[in-house]
Amino acid sequence: MKKVVLSFAAVLLSTAAVTAADDPISVRKALMQANAAAAAVSGAMMKGELEYNPAVARAAIANFNASAMALGDFFPEGSQTGGNTTAAPAIWENPEAFQQAVAKFQTDAAAAMQAAGRQGPADLAAFQAAVTPVLSNCSSCHEDFRVQN
Amino acid sequence: MRRVLLILAAAIIVAGAAFWFLTEPELLDGSALSGLQPGDPARGERFFFAGGCASCHTAPGEGATELQLGGGGALETEFGTFIAPNISPDPENGIGAWSEADFANAMLRGVSPDGEHYYPAFPYTSYARMEPQDVIDLFAFIKTLPPVAERAPDHTLSFPFTLRRGLGLWKRLYMHPEPVIALDANASESVVRGRYLVEGPGHCGECHTPRDFVGGLKYDQWLAGGDAFEGEGRVPNITPGGGIGSWSEGDIAYYLESGFTPDFDSVGGSMVPVQKNMARLPAEDREAIAAYLKAVPAVEEQGNEQ
Repeated sequence: MKKVVLSFAAVLLSTAAVTAADDPISVRKALMQANAAAAAVSGAMMKGELEYNPAVARAAIANFNASAMALGDFFPEGSQTGGNTTAAPAIWENPEAFQQAVAKFQTDAAAAMQAAGRQGPADLAAFQAAVTPVLSNCSSCHEDFRVQN
Repeated sequence: MRRVLLILAAAIIVAGAAFWFLTEPELLDGSALSGLQPGDPARGERFFFAGGCASCHTAPGEGATELQLGGGGALETEFGTFIAPNISPDPENGIGAWSEADFANAMLRGVSPDGEHYYPAFPYTSYARMEPQDVIDLFAFIKTLPPVAERAPDHTLSFPFTLRRGLGLWKRLYMHPEPVIALDANASESVVRGRYLVEGPGHCGECHTPRDFVGGLKYDQWLAGGDAFEGEGRVPNITPGGGIGSWSEGDIAYYLESGFTPDFDSVGGSMVPVQKNMARLPAEDREAIAAYLKAVPAVEEQGNEQ
């Protein structure tokens, strides 16, 4: 039984790995959707539409942090077109600038993760201070690296 | 034969005179600026951000802040590359030696202090709808900014667009200082304010309205979207017939403030600096813009003529 479970897990892992390698456009889109969902929760709390909750705040920040670490790996050469991608040619024409933008996202997300601690930011003001720099990466990166639509 | 030549010569002279007459740069009346208050830089700052002056007139790249208006930003078009000039208060390289009338003629008439037409890459077609007092206040604000002692490069255009005089005809066709959208007599103050901000200083229509083959706005498709000036992509239709038709006024105002759509997708492309400027305006201005965008006629998206 244990063996079956293990091999099942191995199949799952290998399927996931194959998907990621074969279809980087879908993976990066999924990461962006996760970012948008985390931004939506963050925005709703900052607008007062959703009551502030430190655990939810921490989940949003952790989401940004994980996405920031992964995202840069899913723009390989050859994934410029297809799958309705809106990735801009500048990503491949100016890879250094793109890497810098990814690195900034990672730095800001890691700092927010640090600030969130184990319990999440104590109050809305602390959350706002931690997450605002992370959110600024959305537009600064999309200014140059996403095709207008 | 001699008679034919004479008639031909006369026809050329008449055509030339007509061209000269029709393309003559038109300056403001001497009375246009009389009776105004002295320029108020605090009021002018609001129009500086509403107008997004810094987006083109600060040097591209790292270093220059949004208040160093040394110029240099490039706008690549099918007519050639336009370079935004230095509009800092430097008297040699910028506009430090200009009078209020010079500045008002540039903004409201698209005419330089030397009496030449500006190219409409400088969106005076929109600024012409501004109140003279607001223009004078904006000038007063720009005068408080640091001078930049550097001359921006010239435009690189292809013939015949190198001949500025011909722009006089273009202006006759496409420059309409009156409001684009007629509003109901009972339209709210906010909608009227929004119309002023969008059609005038905000110059939103310059990118969000499709253009014809000589670069004139298609006013019957006002704000219905167009091809991006630079790179690939589209500038979206922002009438109620476009993607933002389902947004509430609050959604539009929040987007202008935060850069996030109702789905928490983010602002991108050349709208990024615009949104940053909009975030600097008082909330009532963003609400006014939202109210106006809900009041304009819905247009189906069509696009530019190539």
